[in-house]
Amino acid sequence: MHARLLVLTPWHFVRLMIRPSDAGACLASAAPETSAVLLRLVIPLSLVPPLLAYIGGAVFGWHLGGGTPLYISPAGLTLISLGYFVALITGFLSTAAVASWMADTYGAKREYGTHLAFVVLVGMPVILASVGHLAPHAFVNMIVLIPALIWSLYLLYRCLPAALGTSPERGMLMASSLVAYLLVAGVSLLGITVVLWTGGIGPTLGV
Amino acid sequence: MKLNGEQYHDRVTAWLTGFAIFWSLLGMASGVYVAAELVWPTIDFGHEWLSYGRLRNLHTNTVIFGFGISALMATAFYSVQRTCHVPLFAPRLAWFCALGWQAGMLGGGISLLAGWNGGKEYAELEWPFDIAIAVIWISFAIVFFGTIAKRRIQPIYVSNWFYGALIIVVAMLHIVNSLAIPVTWSKSYSLFAGTQDAVVQWWYGHNAVGFLLTGGFLGMLYYFLPKHADRPIWSYRLSIIAFWAFTYSYIWAGPHHLHYNAVPEWVQSLGMVMSLVLLAPSWATLVNGVMTVAGAWEKLRTDPALKFIVLSLAFYGLATFEGPMMAIKSVNVVSHFTDWTIGHVHSGALGWNALITFGTFYFLLPRLVGAELYSTRLANWHFWLALAGVMLYVLAMWGAGVSQGLLWLSLDEIGELSYSFKDIMASMKPYYALRMVAGFTFFAGAVLMAFNLWMTAKGRRIVCIAPPPPVREGA
Repeated sequence: MHARLLVLTPWHFVRLMIRPSDAGACLASAAPETSAVLLRLVIPLSLVPPLLAYIGGAVFGWHLGGGTPLYISPAGLTLISLGYFVALITGFLSTAAVASWMADTYGAKREYGTHLAFVVLVGMPVILASVGHLAPHAFVNMIVLIPALIWSLYLLYRCLPAALGTSPERGMLMASSLVAYLLVAGVSLLGITVVLWTGGIGPTLGV
Repeated sequence: MKLNGEQYHDRVTAWLTGFAIFWSLLGMASGVYVAAELVWPTIDFGHEWLSYGRLRNLHTNTVIFGFGISALMATAFYSVQRTCHVPLFAPRLAWFCALGWQAGMLGGGISLLAGWNGGKEYAELEWPFDIAIAVIWISFAIVFFGTIAKRRIQPIYVSNWFYGALIIVVAMLHIVNSLAIPVTWSKSYSLFAGTQDAVVQWWYGHNAVGFLLTGGFLGMLYYFLPKHADRPIWSYRLSIIAFWAFTYSYIWAGPHHLHYNAVPEWVQSLGMVMSLVLLAPSWATLVNGVMTVAGAWEKLRTDPALKFIVLSLAFYGLATFEGPMMAIKSVNVVSHFTDWTIGHVHSGALGWNALITFGTFYFLLPRLVGAELYSTRLANWHFWLALAGVMLYVLAMWGAGVSQGLLWLSLDEIGELSYSFKDIMASMKPYYALRMVAGFTFFAGAVLMAFNLWMTAKGRRIVCIAPPPPVREGA
């Protein structure tokens, strides 16, 4: 594999994901255009989890832990999948924006395209873990998600210094700041989802 | 150089640090055990001392009051001397305070296992212990404020403002919430009843979170972070603004624990609004911490403890954002009475309180005994175990909590509950198993720390340090 040649395809990013020692240098050697990363990686990859969630939800229904599965109407499922897609796109773009905004503080490169490509690399294990949506049981999905998140965290800490051109120590601080942002973004998404759900998008909750 | 033979009283800090580590291990071990009881309910073996209802209280009391307060007393005594350039006021009273607290915790812990319980969450200890706690706490106040009163430098550093608020507010909360009529040595009845009792209890409960688990530990942050980083706090002015905004707004937020309960609607709404306001001062401190540490990246090469503080800031950011969000009534309708709340509490308790304390202990103990840390490698292992443990814990409880909330609210086509409470709880077993693994992982990291610090301090004496000489006017 030519580690230093960055190709903007999902398959290439999967290969980078499993070879983190090459991934940072590979991203550092390239200065990808934002539009290219968006069109070739962010949008196609963001379609995968909502699509799988739609199929799993429509065919099997969601098991949140109780007895019978929760079946959501096709219209509700479409709306939820659309919201999921928007959340993923927003997540990729906002995380890259936050990383780029932090770059000066931690002596990293500022190019937004590079940050976006790096965020895609870090998010790749989680995108792949969305295959768990085909078995729509909340706990099964969590079990699949946990190793994926651990791998994403590893990629974040391991690859950030090389990919964004900063020292390992400043990279560690920047990665931790991004973890803080991602935790807050994650819990915000949880809150927004709950508000929408109790607002009527999803099964009737009687509230 | 000694000034009139004066020395800082650091032995009391070292002992309190040791006690805090002991309580952290006991508290976390009992936490893992009660987590295991939720997976295998029969492991109490029919013995009431091992029952969930008693061990759970032992867990919360030992981690919050045993570990948390001992760590706060240790760091308050250490930092107030150095920020005031004087030894402790009334050092014998400081020893009384330190040892009395441990005796109270030991007796209190045994009484909880024996089934003495006042029935108020996080204030379960019965009236003899409540009186003892009040006496010790007032001693703490005399030592701390006495030291500030005899300080040799005029400004009162911001960490002392936070520690001072901790001492004053916790005294107020504890005394008011513990007002009760004793009927026997082991039983008393609260002076408050009904909804007044609920409002007073959560005024206490939430401000214990606020002024002990947040404000007290911010005092620790504001002293030890600049010491770790070897540079001043990024914006001192911002820290003072954050202190007063925090102190003003936190005290009103308690009623968000009583959403959809029998307290007036406006009280609930006030609690919600003040909880949202609280985000601003909380995050002012977050910004201050992140920017202070951002300029100290070289220290990461030599100081493994700094990583704990960096990570604790990330979880502080999460917990102080998640709390106000969960106070919003339309989120609370799902989250209340579910394990989401448990996850939120632990993202703060493990991710923020424990990690900043661990980072502080790794900094403090080698300096107290004048030695290098025994093993940087073990400290690094501890860091990764702590990160894995807290992340797994939070994820497990988010999954369990959101599932519970949504299932409890699900109605069928004729308006009946779709799922029984029993069935929902039975289905939570996998999440609880995951939480048990997470807790054990975090506990294992704490054991490594205890061993590492024990080996660092073993056989060594406390280093004697004298206050700096006073600066003469016009010099």
